Amino acid sequence: MNLRRRYLRDRIMVVFVYLGTLIVLLPLGFILLHVFTQGIGALNWDFFTKPPAPPGEGGGGMLPAIVGTFVIDLMALAMGGLLGLGGGILMAEYPDHPLNRPLRLVANVLGGIPAILMGLFAFVLVVVPMGGFSAFSGSVALAILMIPIIMRATEEVLRILPWELREAGLALGLPRWRVTLSLILPAARGGIVTGLLLALARAAGEAAPLLFTAFGNPFLSFDPLGPMDSLPLKIYVYAISPYEDWIRQAWGAALLLALLLMATNYLARRAMRRG
Amino acid sequence: MKKIVILVMMLLLAAAFARGVTLSGAGATFPYPLYAKYFSVYHKATGVRVNYQSIGSGGGIRQLFAGTVHFGASDAPLTDKKLAEFEQKRGTRVIHVPTALGAVVPTYNLPGVRAAVRFSGPVLADIFLGKIRKWNDPALAALNPGVKLPPLPITVVRRSDGSGTTYIWTEYLAKVSPEWKKRVGVGKSVSWPAGMGGKGNEGVAGLVRQIPGALGYNELVYAVQNEIAYGAVQNRAGKFVRADLASLRAAAELPDFPPDTRVSLTDTPAPEGYPIASFTWILVYRDLDKNRAVKSAAEARALAALLDWIIHDGQQFNEALHYATLPEVAVRASEANLAGLLYRGEAVIPK
Repeated sequence: MNLRRRYLRDRIMVVFVYLGTLIVLLPLGFILLHVFTQGIGALNWDFFTKPPAPPGEGGGGMLPAIVGTFVIDLMALAMGGLLGLGGGILMAEYPDHPLNRPLRLVANVLGGIPAILMGLFAFVLVVVPMGGFSAFSGSVALAILMIPIIMRATEEVLRILPWELREAGLALGLPRWRVTLSLILPAARGGIVTGLLLALARAAGEAAPLLFTAFGNPFLSFDPLGPMDSLPLKIYVYAISPYEDWIRQAWGAALLLALLLMATNYLARRAMRRG
Repeated sequence: MKKIVILVMMLLLAAAFARGVTLSGAGATFPYPLYAKYFSVYHKATGVRVNYQSIGSGGGIRQLFAGTVHFGASDAPLTDKKLAEFEQKRGTRVIHVPTALGAVVPTYNLPGVRAAVRFSGPVLADIFLGKIRKWNDPALAALNPGVKLPPLPITVVRRSDGSGTTYIWTEYLAKVSPEWKKRVGVGKSVSWPAGMGGKGNEGVAGLVRQIPGALGYNELVYAVQNEIAYGAVQNRAGKFVRADLASLRAAAELPDFPPDTRVSLTDTPAPEGYPIASFTWILVYRDLDKNRAVKSAAEARALAALLDWIIHDGQQFNEALHYATLPEVAVRASEANLAGLLYRGEAVIPK
């Protein structure tokens, strides 16, 4: 009797857990489904190969925004990745360094700042002195956004590695920087790549930091020092416009962005499993 | 490591790809459909790329002051105070180049009413002051004999951002209503006594479309392109006029035209003129080298050539988008102003 009641209780709890999972997954599923059904119609050859058309005319595509998204995000990843990795290594490998406490504080504060402030920061620091909006300033804003994420991910991954690994290297007579570069980083490669990709995915969806930095550009541009377009920017502008065709294209851009982010997340998971 | 090398190589390659002159501008949403058309045509004709982002007139002026764009765009001319600030802090005058004439129209959503509703200036002021609250108010009914106005409450919709369209609208209301002038005043953003806000001309159009009984104000092209009803407004001569190309042109016929083109067209005395009309301007530094965004004499010349193209050849695109072309006097005044543009003391427009 008692045993049966226990089984029953167990089963009820399992049902609740499934129900909870379903409730959490449902909105995600609805969002993806909605974006997919609304956006799939806008994805055609023109969408990928043409610059945008003036409002009300119809036609045109997203080529400058697609190219710009890749250029801006990769530049941001290069900058944010270097700084974030450096910070993470310092915190994990040199636990007694006097810089660590302020560094951790900065990382925590940076992680909590709204993304739009990163844009304002880059505007004041890069756009105004350089006398013009540029893809580079947008990358700076996104890089600042990435730094705390990469820093924390790197630190955590390095912490997990056994100290014996470092001791072995040191015992062989390697200097400390050599140990970090040749032993620790390769051993933690999977986790680090995951951190980089997650930071990239987080930054790639942001429109706010790009409003007053990358600025947008209806022409295809590869110039990192000139204004450049990006998919989140285009979604922001097109979605609130009153033009049917632009709204349709905004859904298409949203679908494309969602697919890119999902691909990035998938790669991140694969890297983690390998590592 | 390999990744970084590849990235650096990509950037170098990207820099090599950059070519031709690119100009950037920011500002008003009011002429945005027109500017997008201009710059698309201009790119095909000359290869010069002009990147215009419609962030609102207030934002355009701020970016011009910060020296981050080649030109700003605004539907409200700069005030004397702002001009003095440019002169003091940037060491240059600002030139106003009018590009088109536009109308701000009262847009509304009244299910079942087919005829264009008639408004007068004082009645619009009272509605936006929150004093007239119902569509079947006696004041409105008196203006619209024969139209059956529903007993719906009026939902006032206005702009939430700094807007040249708001400037034109409030400037008109202040001219026709002493109470509006005293309580609210004129500006790109004012403290509204009533209503809800939408972002940009786009946002106001969207809200008016959704809310039955809503009354907002939009640039004419937004009402036409999105099939929103808009009313006729009684002008100073007592005639009810709907905004169109003819009534816009009539409003712009001025006996004397100021050389700096900063002129208000609202509450026109012209008997056929639409009372809430305005020029919209592109703003540039007179001494172009004072603008940090202008990086070379070639860019300064390209900018001057673009402005020259807009006031002449570009005008042919205005009417298809419901903006009126510039009157002859405005073109002459602008030619004189453009001839005064300098880069390091040298004129940039060939005589």
